[in-house]
Amino acid sequence: MDDGFAEYVAHRHLRLCRMAYLLARDWGTAEDLVQTALAKAWTVWRRIEGNPDPYVYRIIVNTHASWWRRRWRGEIPAETLPETADPRDAVAEVEDQAALWRAIGALSPRQRAVIVLHYFEGRTLTQVADIIGCSPGAVKSQLGRALTRLRVDPDVQTMTLEEVQR
Amino acid sequence: MRHTEDDLRTLLDGYGRERPGGEPSADLDAIVRRGRRIRRTRRAAAGGAALACAVAAAVLVGGLPSGPPRADEAVAARPAPAPTPTAPAPELPDGFPVVLGDQRFDLSIIHSRRFEAVGAAGTVTFTPTSFFTGYQVVCDDPGAWVVTEQRLKGGERGGTAGRCGDGVGGHHDRLSAPSGWLEGPQSLKVWVFPADAPVREAAEAVTGCRPAPAARGCDESAQARALRDPEVRRRLSAEVGERQGRWAVGIYDRPAAAGAGPGSGSPAGTGHPVEGASTPAGRRGD
Repeated sequence: MDDGFAEYVAHRHLRLCRMAYLLARDWGTAEDLVQTALAKAWTVWRRIEGNPDPYVYRIIVNTHASWWRRRWRGEIPAETLPETADPRDAVAEVEDQAALWRAIGALSPRQRAVIVLHYFEGRTLTQVADIIGCSPGAVKSQLGRALTRLRVDPDVQTMTLEEVQR
Repeated sequence: MRHTEDDLRTLLDGYGRERPGGEPSADLDAIVRRGRRIRRTRRAAAGGAALACAVAAAVLVGGLPSGPPRADEAVAARPAPAPTPTAPAPELPDGFPVVLGDQRFDLSIIHSRRFEAVGAAGTVTFTPTSFFTGYQVVCDDPGAWVVTEQRLKGGERGGTAGRCGDGVGGHHDRLSAPSGWLEGPQSLKVWVFPADAPVREAAEAVTGCRPAPAARGCDESAQARALRDPEVRRRLSAEVGERQGRWAVGIYDRPAAAGAGPGSGSPAGTGHPVEGASTPAGRRGD
C-alpha cells in the first residue's frame, strides 16, 4: 500500500518532528511520536480524505497527551515566570527566551498544543479546534490562559481573541 | 518581563530547528513495519475477543509464589519513549519462538506497553488468544533487574526474576494456564529496578538471601530469588525511588483458532511453567 504515503512522509516528516519536539521537548520522544502517528495513519491511509495533516496532527497531539499523563516527571515546573533583568541586554534577552521556553514547558499538554499549532504551525483557531477535537470557544479559552501564563502582551492577546470571535 | 506574539513565534521557530546532531531522517520501512504491527495487534485483539470462551488449562511463567502485591509499592509511570534523544527505544521482538518437545512454533506479538521509569512496577493487561500466551521484557539497560508476577494455575501469584539482558520472559502451555485463561483479560505485573539497585542488601535484610547451595553465597541467582519476595521489592522501591529508564513488555500469542481448544492440533502442555524459554533469537529493529 502506498497511494502517496511515502511522498507524504518524505515531504512532511521534518516539519512533523519539529512540531512534535515543541510539544515533547525531547527529540527522541518527538521522533517516536511522529513515527507512531505515521504508523497509525498508514493503517488507515486509504480512508483519509483530503489533506492528511489534520489527522496526523491530531494523533500526535493525543498521543503526546496520553504519554505525558503517564510519564514520570521529576521536575516540577514553576507556576510563574521568574523576573529577569531589565533594561534588556544580550544576556537578559537570552534569559528571557529561556524563561519563556521553560514557561511553555510548564503549560498543560492541551495548552501547549494550542500554542504550537497556532504560533508555530500557523493554524487558525478554528483549525486548531478541529485538530484537537474541541470547540473554538474551548481553544480560545485555552489560548487565553496559556498566553496569560506566558506573559504575552495583553494587547496582542486581546487582538488575537477578538480575531477568534469574528 | 512580558513578551509579544512575535517573540513567541520567533522562539518556537528557533527551538524547533535546533536539533543536535542534524535533522531527523524518516525511516519509511520502520514506519510501515510499525503500522503492520498495529494492524496485527488490532486484528488479534478482535479475534481473541471473539473466541475467548473456549477451554482452559496450561500455564505461564513459573517461579515461586511471591505473595500479594503491596499497596505501598510504587507503580510505574507510563509507557512512552524517550528520555535520551539519541538512544533508540528498547525494541521488542516481533515473534516469540516456542519449543515444546518436538513441537516448534512462533507466537506473534498481540500487545505491548512501554514505560520510562525504573524503580517501580507496571501492569500490562491483555486478552489471551490461546493457552500458549507468552511475554518478553526488554530494557534500555540490559543490567536492570526485572521481576514479573501473575496469577498461576492454583490461584496463587508467582513469577520470575533476573537481569533484563538475560531474556526475562516465558510462556504458558495447555496445562499451566490458570483456569479461565481464555475467558477474559489477564494481567502481568512487572517491576524493573536499576542495575545498581541494592538488591543484595535488601535481600539480606529481609530474607537473609539464602543461597542454594549455601556455598555460593548471596550470588545473582539468590538475589533474583529474593526479588520474588514482595517485602524485598517494597524496600527496593523505597530505596531507589523512580528513575528514568525505558523498558517495554510484549505479550505474544497464537492466533485464536490455532491453539485455543483441545484437539485443535496444538502441542501438548508440560504442566509446568516455561520461563525464559524460547528466547527470541533476534530483536526487531524499527
